[in-house]
Amino acid sequence: MAGRNLRRNRVRTVLAVLGVCIGVLAVAALGIFGNVLALGANDAIGDIGTQVVVSPNSDTGVESLSTTDVAEIRRAVDDPAVGDPAVVPLYSDNGIVAGASSQTFATIYGVEEPALAFEAAEGELPDRHRQGAIIGAGVATDLNIGTGDTVEIVGSQVRVVAVLAETQTFSPVAPDDAVFLPESAFATDGYAQALIISESGETAQAAADAIRREVNAREDRVDLFELAAIVDEINGFFDLLSTFLLGLGAISLVVAGVSILNVMLMSTVERRQEIGVMRAVGVTRRDVLRVLLAEAGLIGAAGAAAGTVLTVILVAALVAATPAVDASLVIDPTNAYYLLLALGFGVGVGIISGAYPAWKAANERPVEALRS
Amino acid sequence: MYSVELRGATKRYPGGGTEPVVALDDVNFAVEPGEFVAVVGPSGSGKSTLLNVLGLLDDPTEGWRLLNGTDVTELSVAERTTARKGSIGFVFQDFHLLPALTAVENVALPTAFDSGDASDRAVDLLRRFGLGDRLDHEPSELSGGQKQRVAIARSLINDPAVLLADEPTGNLDTDTGESILAEFGRVKEEGVAVIAVTHDPLVEEYADRVVELTDGVLVGGDVDEATSVDDTLGGRDSESPLAPGEQ
Repeated sequence: MAGRNLRRNRVRTVLAVLGVCIGVLAVAALGIFGNVLALGANDAIGDIGTQVVVSPNSDTGVESLSTTDVAEIRRAVDDPAVGDPAVVPLYSDNGIVAGASSQTFATIYGVEEPALAFEAAEGELPDRHRQGAIIGAGVATDLNIGTGDTVEIVGSQVRVVAVLAETQTFSPVAPDDAVFLPESAFATDGYAQALIISESGETAQAAADAIRREVNAREDRVDLFELAAIVDEINGFFDLLSTFLLGLGAISLVVAGVSILNVMLMSTVERRQEIGVMRAVGVTRRDVLRVLLAEAGLIGAAGAAAGTVLTVILVAALVAATPAVDASLVIDPTNAYYLLLALGFGVGVGIISGAYPAWKAANERPVEALRS
Repeated sequence: MYSVELRGATKRYPGGGTEPVVALDDVNFAVEPGEFVAVVGPSGSGKSTLLNVLGLLDDPTEGWRLLNGTDVTELSVAERTTARKGSIGFVFQDFHLLPALTAVENVALPTAFDSGDASDRAVDLLRRFGLGDRLDHEPSELSGGQKQRVAIARSLINDPAVLLADEPTGNLDTDTGESILAEFGRVKEEGVAVIAVTHDPLVEEYADRVVELTDGVLVGGDVDEATSVDDTLGGRDSESPLAPGEQ
């Protein structure tokens, strides 16, 4: 019955549905935009948030990290409470790396367990790095070389076993412009840095705190470089941004709600006699209320469904049009949450806006309604 | 026992000035089962108010109202709705069918929100009124006479004790009006008390009894002016001039 009543005044119904549709579109689309922005930012800064770089503190005369220092660091973070992060000590040097046709100046690291800290784009990272060179994405591009090629590093010919995936991190250890050799290629006995790779920003911070506490207990032997706290701040900002965008969307949904209110009020005024007849022939107030609420709910649901579909189309079109946005960020399951939220809001707004007119119509005395 | 009965019913509306408007003035009115009563009177004499009070759409300011011998003078809104649904059928001058519903759905409207499906009974009623081939038509596809038949079928869906009709022939031509009145004749054969408010002299021809309402005062309201108030209300002292046999 509710559906048929709505069909009687199609134009008005369609306009109300359109209102909700736009409201839902605004909420869902702005919510998703904010979320994609936050996810994108998180993606870019996520790595540094989970990384702590430990370096010797030259202010107190420590020039390199000894094996004792590394062992102490390992002990400090060997605790389930800090997430048991991987500790990857690095030797460090600089030198000329030459390919077949060109050469470049690069940082040369000595690493034993590269697989703990890095990802390969080409070839495979060995668990124990014993021979060959692993080269960063930037160096590989500059020298135009790949896995299986030979490069000359500071005078010795080394075969490339793997090329690292490009990273967008901002960190003292920049693997893009570096070459990784086995530890045996270095003659020094002190590590230049140690990377602590955690699962999350929180555990990274906990690890950094643990190292400060344990390793720097007597004197400040090491410097720590960590961005987890900054990442937290940035995440907080994006939460705020998302809320702000959702708020903007909610305003349009409120406008849509007022339009439903208007439609339902007009409709009940127009159908005053009909409602009076229903009441006169013995239909209870509750049932009249139910029919009218169902009408409002239907408007809300139809608008919300249309708005949700439109949002999906809009977001898909925007992603297709802007290559800068990573599609994987958009199909992230958290975006579905915003869709559902908007859908629920749409239906809710319909019912809430329909409540007053429905209540008013149901409670009118049938005598008055029939007289008009 | 009367199907419906008013005793000393007075209805006053707050008027624009200091004096309230008296729409019904100490009205005694009773209708037996199977009786067809026409209420006539000039416009503004209180006919609609009488129908509303009889139909539990409005309450009398003073006096009693009985439905099937039960006092229904003061009921809550929900109780009145239930009583209307259980015992009263309405037929309006403008038919008042819901335009979005088919004939069958309109007939079943009073029970539309109950569990169980009254469609079968609605179809039976429509067939009885010769609308077997119009079951799924919407009101806009029906003639005036057909609409009024649908409305009568609707008023009977709940097996009412009383059928209240407000100018049932007012919007119909004479021939159609006569056929509608013939339908009322059949309805009353089933023991339903039919009360029609009308201007139409035709209705008076079909009615068993005609009562006249002038400025809220009803003449000829009781079935037998001699059987009176005492029988039903146990010796309530009526000062109504309409029950002279009492003295």
